[in-house]
Amino acid sequence: MLAGTADPKGFERDAPTMPSFAENGVEFPNAVFVQALFEIEAASMCEMLPPALHPTLPPVAGITVLDVPESEWGPFRMAELRIQCRSGLRSRAMGVSTVVDRAEVGVELAERFGFRVVLGEVALERAYHETRIEVGAEGATWASAAMRGPKRIGEGDMQFVSTMHPAQTPVGFRLVQLDTRYGVQRAERAPLDLEVFDAAAWGESRIVPSLMLPAVVGIADVRLDAIRFACRAEVMAFEGSEKVGAR
Amino acid sequence: MKFGIFHELATPRPFTRENEAKVIRNALEQVRVADEVGFDTVWAVEHHFLEGYSHSSAPEVFLTACAAQTEKIRIGHGAVVCVREMNHPIRVAERAAMLDIISNGRLEFGTARSSTWTELGGFEADPDRTKQDWDEYVRAIPGMWTQERFSWKGNCFSMPERAVLPKPLQQPHPPMWVTVTSPGTELDAADRGLGCLGVSTGSVADQEKRTNEYHRRIQLCDPIGAVNDQVATLNFMHCHEDLEVAAKRGMSFLGMFGLLNSHLLFTREAYATTGYQSLGGLAAPASSKSGGNPGAAYGVPEGVCIGDPKAIIEAIKRWESVGVDQVNFLVNACELLPQEQVLDSLRLFAREVIPAFRPSATDGGQG
Repeated sequence: MLAGTADPKGFERDAPTMPSFAENGVEFPNAVFVQALFEIEAASMCEMLPPALHPTLPPVAGITVLDVPESEWGPFRMAELRIQCRSGLRSRAMGVSTVVDRAEVGVELAERFGFRVVLGEVALERAYHETRIEVGAEGATWASAAMRGPKRIGEGDMQFVSTMHPAQTPVGFRLVQLDTRYGVQRAERAPLDLEVFDAAAWGESRIVPSLMLPAVVGIADVRLDAIRFACRAEVMAFEGSEKVGAR
Repeated sequence: MKFGIFHELATPRPFTRENEAKVIRNALEQVRVADEVGFDTVWAVEHHFLEGYSHSSAPEVFLTACAAQTEKIRIGHGAVVCVREMNHPIRVAERAAMLDIISNGRLEFGTARSSTWTELGGFEADPDRTKQDWDEYVRAIPGMWTQERFSWKGNCFSMPERAVLPKPLQQPHPPMWVTVTSPGTELDAADRGLGCLGVSTGSVADQEKRTNEYHRRIQLCDPIGAVNDQVATLNFMHCHEDLEVAAKRGMSFLGMFGLLNSHLLFTREAYATTGYQSLGGLAAPASSKSGGNPGAAYGVPEGVCIGDPKAIIEAIKRWESVGVDQVNFLVNACELLPQEQVLDSLRLFAREVIPAFRPSATDGGQG
């Protein structure tokens, strides 16, 4: 059985600090979302994850972009790089880092939900035949991609998985489980052309894309749920999962 | 009620040549013992690239060995992946017919379309069209087996008039099945007159609902060949006189199997499509209801056949009561249990459990 072999201390260094777990969720109505997944080379699939998590076969990473037109924090855009994984038997993704275009939103995401945030630029442009994303910080492009020739799919045809965010929490260093719900209004699938991907800039240089998977572009009411579970990073989820925060 | 053993050929790491060979040799020995003591069927899956979980990529070869080394047990090709990038339908029909002859008419022919991106992606198969491919295969293959010469013009494949040879020994052809993981596939089975080969574990209540609808629908079916109206389910089995010992051993390999299964990349997670509406997980989740079964105190989920003979008989009677005709058992995973424990479990099951469902059978004999 495969399991992560990374020393959890390696994640602690750059982990955000959460003064408390989010007791209330936050809603992003009518957000445009892009889920761009790609298979990655398997050589380092275990070294990138802590022992609590297991890689998928084949290993997959992905960038999720949200263009939020309205929220209690105002409009903003964000892009998160995640590595798909398993926590026990459950499908999850581990957050690597997140670019946000407004500093105050970044603080909310980090302190309440455990995102490892970098202030930067996130562009999401939609045309009839093409969607483009570009993500970067301090003038450098971390990722850019085009999705051309979209095909309409059903609102329930895609899978979204919860995120495990490495974070310093009131109960110590933990993988904080963030459940994100997508009330999809419209969705399209399109081939992914990942033009630029700077893995080191995102914070995990061992992510090497090897096969593009079809991207999903859509509009959804997105909700980040209150935090209910966290997991110790150094042991398997069966042993290390614990209820936290809001009940 | 019929009983089968079900082989995924789950293999422990590291994947040395010796480990892989040991798993396969042990599985063959289990098949020989199962044949001797009165099990009805051995099934072998077709999976590709599923590290650890299943190294059964060439079941037709494994099953040929099973056929050659046994006398009575039926040979379950469970199941052939009916997707154009993975198996050409003519080759599927030819190989199955040959296996039916080699086994002296003991073939059970299962069909499937694969549920993981690990496999479909590896063959660059299109998840949008696997259901269409499967449908075309199951409609064409009976004709290949029963018509002197056969031709086909379809979306998935076409062929001019040719004699597909040899013909299977069973008349008109071997019983056909479809594996059922996604909800609703049992209805596809019923509508075509195919047997329902459950390969995911679930609750008795879920099975009852599915089986009732299957039996209702198959009465109205437009069969693609000879009707097979049997319902089979998948289960885990370890039988020992001491319930606690059985639970400890059985739950260890059940848990391992669940973990290995969960690490696969199911199609829906990687490829957004209407074609795969569920993840298709296999193993019983650890949180399954215990349902008051005797093994509940040791964490054995409802309906799982891990326990002493009495507990297993009780579990099987529940499946029987909801219309299940056959229960197929996973008996080990990744060699977690020593081979002797697996063989002892098979023998005890045959001695103490099978007779409870075959009043006329003598110990160890086939009823």
